Amino acid sequence: MDLHIDSLTIEYTSGGYRVRPIDGLDLRVASGELVLLLGASGCGKTTLLSALAGILTPAAGSIRLGELDVTAMPARARTEYRRRTVGIVFQAFNLVPGLSALDNVQVPLWAAGVPGRTARRRAAELLERVGLGDRVGHRPSGLSGGQQQRVAIARALAHDPPLVLADEPTAHLDYIQVDRVLRLLRELAEPGRVVVVATHDERLLPLADRVVELSPRAAAEAAVPERRTLTGGEVVFSQGDRGELVYMVERGEIEIVRVRADGTEERLGHAGPGRYFGELAPLFGLRRSATARAATTSEITGYSPRDFRDRFGVDLARAPVGADAPR
Amino acid sequence: MWRVSVRDLLWRRRRFAIALLATGLVFSMTLLMSGISSSLHAQNRRIVRSFSADAWVVAKGTAGPFTASSAIPAAVSDAVAKLPGVRRADPIIVFRSTVGPGTLRDVNVLGYRPGGIGAPHVTSGRGLRAPDEVVADTTLGYRVGERVKLGGHPLRVVGLADAVTFYFGTPTLVLSIADVQRLAFAGQALASAIVTRGVPRAAASGLHVLTDDQVVHDLERPMKNSDQTLSLVNALLWIVAAGIIGSIVYLSALERGHDFAVLKATGATNRSLLTGLALQAVVLATAAALLAAVLAAFLAPIFPFTVSIPGGAYVSLVAVALAVGLLSSLAGLRRAVRVDPALAFGGA
Repeated sequence: MDLHIDSLTIEYTSGGYRVRPIDGLDLRVASGELVLLLGASGCGKTTLLSALAGILTPAAGSIRLGELDVTAMPARARTEYRRRTVGIVFQAFNLVPGLSALDNVQVPLWAAGVPGRTARRRAAELLERVGLGDRVGHRPSGLSGGQQQRVAIARALAHDPPLVLADEPTAHLDYIQVDRVLRLLRELAEPGRVVVVATHDERLLPLADRVVELSPRAAAEAAVPERRTLTGGEVVFSQGDRGELVYMVERGEIEIVRVRADGTEERLGHAGPGRYFGELAPLFGLRRSATARAATTSEITGYSPRDFRDRFGVDLARAPVGADAPR
Repeated sequence: MWRVSVRDLLWRRRRFAIALLATGLVFSMTLLMSGISSSLHAQNRRIVRSFSADAWVVAKGTAGPFTASSAIPAAVSDAVAKLPGVRRADPIIVFRSTVGPGTLRDVNVLGYRPGGIGAPHVTSGRGLRAPDEVVADTTLGYRVGERVKLGGHPLRVVGLADAVTFYFGTPTLVLSIADVQRLAFAGQALASAIVTRGVPRAAASGLHVLTDDQVVHDLERPMKNSDQTLSLVNALLWIVAAGIIGSIVYLSALERGHDFAVLKATGATNRSLLTGLALQAVVLATAAALLAAVLAAFLAPIFPFTVSIPGGAYVSLVAVALAVGLLSSLAGLRRAVRVDPALAFGGA
């Protein structure tokens, strides 16, 4: 079963504003591959995993796993899809504290109505496979972080799912514990199964068959300044876009607005000749947190942050922080 | 998924035990209330039936022999005895007084004609034979041969009778009608009512014939307020029980929010989670009902009169406990349904 992601866009509301962490993502992962979603916190890794798990419904685009069109499934079918087709390894292990390791692994089997004895046998086999055959009766509080994560991996494999999702699987592990978990994850990527791991831990890079960087790289290199002439109402950049340039207004006026969740706009400010805007996204590798558009016929020049600093002597990193607002 | 809920209950067993004890106590109170109410009604029926009378003849306009203070001449019994359908008629007197020595205690006083209708069933000692003798209810704690003073008049206890109580468990002294006439009517030959064997086919002028059921109904009329009070207290106790179970289930849902998100993310349906939570409420309510039955059995003897809990009260307790458990867990259930499985992602 291959994984196909086409033009995937995910939006949600946060703090009263519409956020689009994933915008037009395309990805093909072949059966047996392990793909790493790499990026800083907030870049949309977990959001993408939620969509792959059928928990979040994307605003546009599609996710297909083999013949299954995940994005077209109704809610009930998505629950069934999570139950049978997806195994999830959570960042904080997320084991149920009142259940033993054996019971925690049985949970997805119970949810699927697997008879008690069969579920028990399968869970015991999986715990044996992850090297915890002697810890079946222990509750999570009696297990180390690495052992808990291995129980979580065993739980994710309960139905032998063709898609395994792992969210920051090494986040709570020390270097000794991480070794076994990494090897287990690598072993999971076998023919008939796709493994998607979201992480900001670059130690995992050698594991991956494919790496997807979800954070836009901070623009560090000098680029040729980009001069643009805008008519009134023309958009310089939109909220949620990736951003590489800082803009200096040469002529006219640029207004900065932020789109609220209800579609209305909040005016953050405006920039006239000699003022600059849009520095945060290129500087820190973030998406644009506001939309900039020409209020009148205007002329602007875009610079890389380094070029901007060299030309104007402004240390953008030390400038007062604002949401891409004009200075 | 019910297994998850059962194991969660076991894991939080201390909290469960505390809730079980509290709910069990509350439920036992409701059982005792039912027992008290039932016993009070039962003793009214018992005292009326104990006369084995076919009819009660009272002054016209009088509600009944136990609640009215109006009297009729005792000699009326002779006229009543001659009425068609009547084989025998005897006068009785019912009034209330206090008995000593020592701390005065309220008592019902029943006067009957020795050898006539209304003789008590003596369980210890003997019946009345001579003046100034009394048969006492066993709850008074007197011994046969003991001397007591009824309204200052000395009497000797010659016999004891069980369960001769009415008016909210007030114990009864049974005397000869002559003694009671001396105490209540200054020796005048008066009576509260005439009890008959055989039903008079026509009432004598100025008199009124009542059946046992009418007499019981009359006797229970003053209990209407206390019945309502008991029902109200019972309802409040159910609400307290619902509050305890509801808060336990709600707390459980609150604490397990993250678990629910994980379970949903791994494919558990809302229905299976709700079943699990409702199961916790039902287990708690049912266990509390069982504990209540045991507690009530221990607490019932503490009351100053016999509290016998009817079998139906146990059945209805279990039924109401289940309803209370399920209803009170609604808030917790609502919360569980609203948990977003996406919460399972992200940090601890």
